[in-house]
Amino acid sequence: MPTSSEDRIRIADAEFPKPFNNGLEFNAPAHGTWNIVHIGFKIPRAHQIYICADNCMRGVVMTAAEMGELSRFSSVVLEEDDMVFAGRLEESTIEGVTDVLNSLPEVPPVVIVFPVCAHKFMGCDINFIYSKLSERFPDVKFVRGFMDPVMQKRGTTPDQRLRKAMFDIIPGGDKDGSVSVIGCDMPLSKDNDIRKLLEAQGVTVRDEAACKTLEEYYDLGKCSSVICSYPAGLLGTTAFCSRTGRPMVYMPFTFDYDAIDEALSQIGVVPVFNGRVSCERRAAGLKTLLGDSEIAIDYTAVPRPLSFARFLISHGFNLKRIYLDAMDPDEITDFEWLVSNAPDVMLCATMHVRGRRPVRPEGDQKILAVGQKAAWFEGTGYFVNIIEGGGLYGYAGIKALLGLMEDAFIVPKDTRDLIPRKGLGCCCVI
Amino acid sequence: MKKAYKILPVYTGDVSGFASALYELGGMLVIHDPSGCNSTYNTHDEVRWYDQEALIYISGLNDIDAITGNDGKFINDIVRAAEDMKPEFIALANSPLPYLNGTDFKGISKIVEDRTGLPCFYVKTNAMHDYTVGASEAFLAFAKKMLEPADEKIKGGINILGNTPLDHTNTGFVIPEGKTIVSDWAYKTSLEEVLKAPSAEHDLVVSSTGLAAAKYMKEAFGIPYELMGNYLDVKREKSRNYIVGEPVISGFIAARIKERYGTDFNVIAATEITDGLLSDCDRKCHGEDEIREALSDAEVIIGDPMFELISPKSAKFIRLPHFAMSGRLFRKEIPDLMRLEDYYHEP
Repeated sequence: MPTSSEDRIRIADAEFPKPFNNGLEFNAPAHGTWNIVHIGFKIPRAHQIYICADNCMRGVVMTAAEMGELSRFSSVVLEEDDMVFAGRLEESTIEGVTDVLNSLPEVPPVVIVFPVCAHKFMGCDINFIYSKLSERFPDVKFVRGFMDPVMQKRGTTPDQRLRKAMFDIIPGGDKDGSVSVIGCDMPLSKDNDIRKLLEAQGVTVRDEAACKTLEEYYDLGKCSSVICSYPAGLLGTTAFCSRTGRPMVYMPFTFDYDAIDEALSQIGVVPVFNGRVSCERRAAGLKTLLGDSEIAIDYTAVPRPLSFARFLISHGFNLKRIYLDAMDPDEITDFEWLVSNAPDVMLCATMHVRGRRPVRPEGDQKILAVGQKAAWFEGTGYFVNIIEGGGLYGYAGIKALLGLMEDAFIVPKDTRDLIPRKGLGCCCVI
Repeated sequence: MKKAYKILPVYTGDVSGFASALYELGGMLVIHDPSGCNSTYNTHDEVRWYDQEALIYISGLNDIDAITGNDGKFINDIVRAAEDMKPEFIALANSPLPYLNGTDFKGISKIVEDRTGLPCFYVKTNAMHDYTVGASEAFLAFAKKMLEPADEKIKGGINILGNTPLDHTNTGFVIPEGKTIVSDWAYKTSLEEVLKAPSAEHDLVVSSTGLAAAKYMKEAFGIPYELMGNYLDVKREKSRNYIVGEPVISGFIAARIKERYGTDFNVIAATEITDGLLSDCDRKCHGEDEIREALSDAEVIIGDPMFELISPKSAKFIRLPHFAMSGRLFRKEIPDLMRLEDYYHEP
């Protein structure tokens, strides 16, 4: 089946995993998802330095400014002469970073350096740059960031590689019996069965997203096993586990009861007593409230949107639209189930040029959205403001999300004010 | 090192300046860029994105297309989108990789024009300059491509040139009695209005972004121009009081302060276009270190709050938020620049 040039398509007619053609791209004004600046600041006391052109710099420096973190952010602005003369790009990068570090009140223990597309395009000797910097600043751990979106359509994304580079500096020390959860930007919620059940068994759970000090961050490496809870973190988690000899369990927030039980058993905890029954009860309660109200969800809300869609459909909810531009190949089973059981559910692109003129339902129809992009495209204030699954997992997580949907359907939010803010969950000074 | 910014943000870039300048004119604006330019622009450099439609897109360039110079995909995508969205014209902007591989934007514009039947033009950008350059080039390219001589003039008609929310987020321009605004380039305006520009008798340049278009209109249509408030006519002396920012607006404010209070302020122009826009007592600075050095002996500084980060502690700092510098951070504090009393009180 060919990919579609349309902006929306019935799931039964969609190509998996990429339903839509590439073309010019629109960017909706929903910015709660994290970018590489937000992610980099997860390493406590790390300083970020970007080496790029003016226009590219603007987005990252203003991200830091809106987080109130300008004191941990610096930049080296590239100009035409850096691009034209052989060797100048390496020189500008090395001398610029050196100048920045020498001017700071104290040299930070960790520095994330971000070269950009131009460095790759010009064949810049990245290893030379890092070896020179390490020579000049032997006490600094340099993290090899990259801001090269030109690569992201065919390979790994800059944020996947950044997460890997960030994990590369975590030492793999002696195992202390703890479990480290890494790869996701949202701290583990109180409604997370991984955390609840492990802690109930007396196991220490370390959460990468909640590290307050650099020591805590390094201590992630003391674990005996690792859980990766988010797809974008999988590359880095796999590399970390391979390097340090730790076993890894991949546990993205799923809505499949059997998958939850299996994953929980893999980390050595007993599946939750009555978990399924309490989820079913909660879902029935929400269904009573919503009736046949339309629901729209998007890929930024949860890591497994098709699993979520299947859950909603199989519980009788009137899910109409799923906003996404591509699907995770791991979701093939849920995709096929939806094709068979809900063929008319629409997949809607978020980047298609027509996104600028979203077709919104007319009248006073009350639509519930889960995720910021779905809220914007649907033009609704009734939405769950959540990204990356919100730190939820398991039966507790499903119940909590259903509860958030209930709240969202009752009390509308100020979409105009909320969704243009960057980095949901981060400090935001605007 | 002039290229290192230890703490100060950079100004809005040229690509965002391009988009801001042409936002309301009904065109389809395409930035040939992998990703990032669109999000940066609509998050930090644009106040209208949520509420007001504009067809601004990126090409989503990938590495293979960049390396092999696959312009065909870029052209096909533009043509397809134009058929779909029906813009009034198409404008193209560049970014670092197409700039490095020497993409022929003029040639591409010609092909797109032939295939769509729509006016298409290239705006010289490469993401390595500030917004004044991008907006200036956009206004100039638009004027050259779209304006036709007027059959008759509108008596007392003026064009406001260089008005974008990047500089004039909340400015309400005061027009002398007997004058009428023919066109506003290009905030709270329309394509229809802007196309009437050649019928004006006079151009008023309200930021450095409007200067190149003003010079073009003078040459092409015989329309004389003046700088906002004729600020260069107000003689100012060397001083340790500084206004740091865009030169036309800073010069205008310095002149108004001189006229009203007799106090001298010198302009530290921190954006790129300055030729013919500064008085002898003013200076141009490039980058954080130069600005920091220029401010080092300051007694009073007027500027965006970001500049306070590199100002001497001993100086009195008067906040004048500028959207092209601090973006959304202090947007609610941005004053009407015509109302001096709202943001300046004699120390």
